[in-house]
Parts: sequence; C-alpha cells; structure tokens
Amino acid sequence: MNDDRMDFSPLDPTADRKHFERVVASIGDRAALELARRRARTSAFGQIAGWRRPMLAAAAAIVIASVAVLTQVTTPANDDRSQGFAIAMGVPQGLAEWVTGGGTPTPADLLAGLAGEGEGAAQ
Amino acid sequence: MADVRELVVRARRGDTAAFEGLVRRFYRAAYATALGVFNNPMDAEDACQDAFIRALERLDDCQPDRFGGWLLQIVRNRARNLRDYERVRDGPDLEVVAAASRERTDDASERSDLRARLETALETLTDAQREVVLLHDLEGWKHREIAEALGISEVMARQHLFVARRALRERLGRATWKEFINE
Repeated sequence: MNDDRMDFSPLDPTADRKHFERVVASIGDRAALELARRRARTSAFGQIAGWRRPMLAAAAAIVIASVAVLTQVTTPANDDRSQGFAIAMGVPQGLAEWVTGGGTPTPADLLAGLAGEGEGAAQ
Repeated sequence: MADVRELVVRARRGDTAAFEGLVRRFYRAAYATALGVFNNPMDAEDACQDAFIRALERLDDCQPDRFGGWLLQIVRNRARNLRDYERVRDGPDLEVVAAASRERTDDASERSDLRARLETALETLTDAQREVVLLHDLEGWKHREIAEALGISEVMARQHLFVARRALRERLGRATWKEFINE
C-alpha cells in the first residue's frame, strides 16, 4: 500500500516556514483574549480553593462551640419550665419539687405537703 | 515533547505555549481536512484558523485523548459552513479567487505547476475521498486514526483511499502519476 503513497508535498502548508509562522502567530493573536479569559478563570478558582480549607475549619469550630453551649443551656431551662408549670397548675411547691426531681415522697412528706396546701387555702 | 493530553489540559487553563503546541502539531491535519472540503488553499487556511479558535472556545467539551478527531470535526463543519456561505454570497467569483490565490501563494513556477495539477486532480474526488487521501499521504495518518477522526470504519477508510488513488491516477495520467509517488 505504501508503494502507492502520493507525494503531496506541494500542498504542505508548513513547507513555507515563514508563511507557516505567520499563520501560527495569527491564530495566537486571535486566541489571546480567550486564553487570557481562561487564565483569569483558573486563578479565580485557585483563590476559592485556597480559602476552602480555613473556611471549613472555622465552620467546624463554630458548630462544635454551638453544640457545647446548647447542651449546657438546655437542661436547667427544662427543669425550671416544668416546675413553673406544676406550680401554675396548683400543685404545692413541695410536691412539685418531688415530681421534677424524680424522687418518691414518703407518706409523711405527702401529709406535710397536703397540710401546707390546706394552710394556703385557709389564708 | 509534551503529549497531546497534557497540552489540552494546559491550554484549558489558558497556557499560550500549550495552545500553540496544539496548533503546530495538528495544523497539517486540519489543513488536509479543510482542503478536502474546499480544494482551495486560501479558504482552507481561513477555515483552519477559525476552527482552532472555535476549538479553544469549546475546549472544555473535548476529551483530551480524542483531541485530534474532535478538532477535525470542527474543521470540517467550519469549512462546510464557509463553503455554503460563499456559494450563496458570491458563487461566480470563487474560481477567480482560487486562481488568484494559486498565483499569489506559489513562488516557484514548477512547484506552482505541480500544485495546480494536484489541486485539479483532487477536485474530481468526493470530500471524504480527498480528506482520506490527504490525511494518509500528506499527514501520514494510519487508517485506524483516519477512521476514528472521520467516524467511519477502517475498511471504509481503505476503500476511500483506494478509490481516490485510482481516480487521481486516471486524472493525472500514468506519466504524471509516477512523479507523485514516493518510491
């Protein structure tokens, strides 16, 4: 097959070196704007990528601090709210403390609590 | 010498030297493809230049390993669009422009004569036959590469080459044919 290979060198666009260099330069001139745009885009992405790690570290620190604060604040707030609700419903303070504290009152405590309620009602 | 994949990746980032490297490496193949459509050196050159700019603009769509075939598709489309546009715009003047370009671009009269005979003979071929014979014999591509770039089978690429050479031999005549064969 190669025996039949034709010599197309008269049509070779790179044979005239000066002309070919002019063509390459012309394409380069026309491409300059697009190449500059691509360089700018690449450097913008690079800046964002550079900021990504410190931003992620800062976000993680904020999350950890927030969780710690919320954990500290939530527990007493629930106790106060439930005790306040029991008092508002007319449960004697002594009994309300037992309920929110999770303890079991003895019969003597119950009598003392009810006696206290009776005194409060008489006043 | 950097490989094509590396040049494409660097050109995507705006590397001027990498883009120039792609132009130098693929210009002859692009020119052969454009010449397959136009058979007119000046128009083929214009189509090539436009195609390289368009390729750069769309470089993110290209698989770096398949840059060659992808580029030639852009060259082919660009050349066909330009040819159709010129036919509509000023068809009768095309031959005058082609003749003028031949006179202007050729320095040595002997070379000019060879070139003119080749161009005339190539005019008898179809676009695909011209492209195949130029990519194979001018650019030195293998049938597998040509088939991949043109989206045809290797068998079809060989068939195009066979028919193209036979047509050129008939057109040029046996004596002239021998001048153009590398032995």
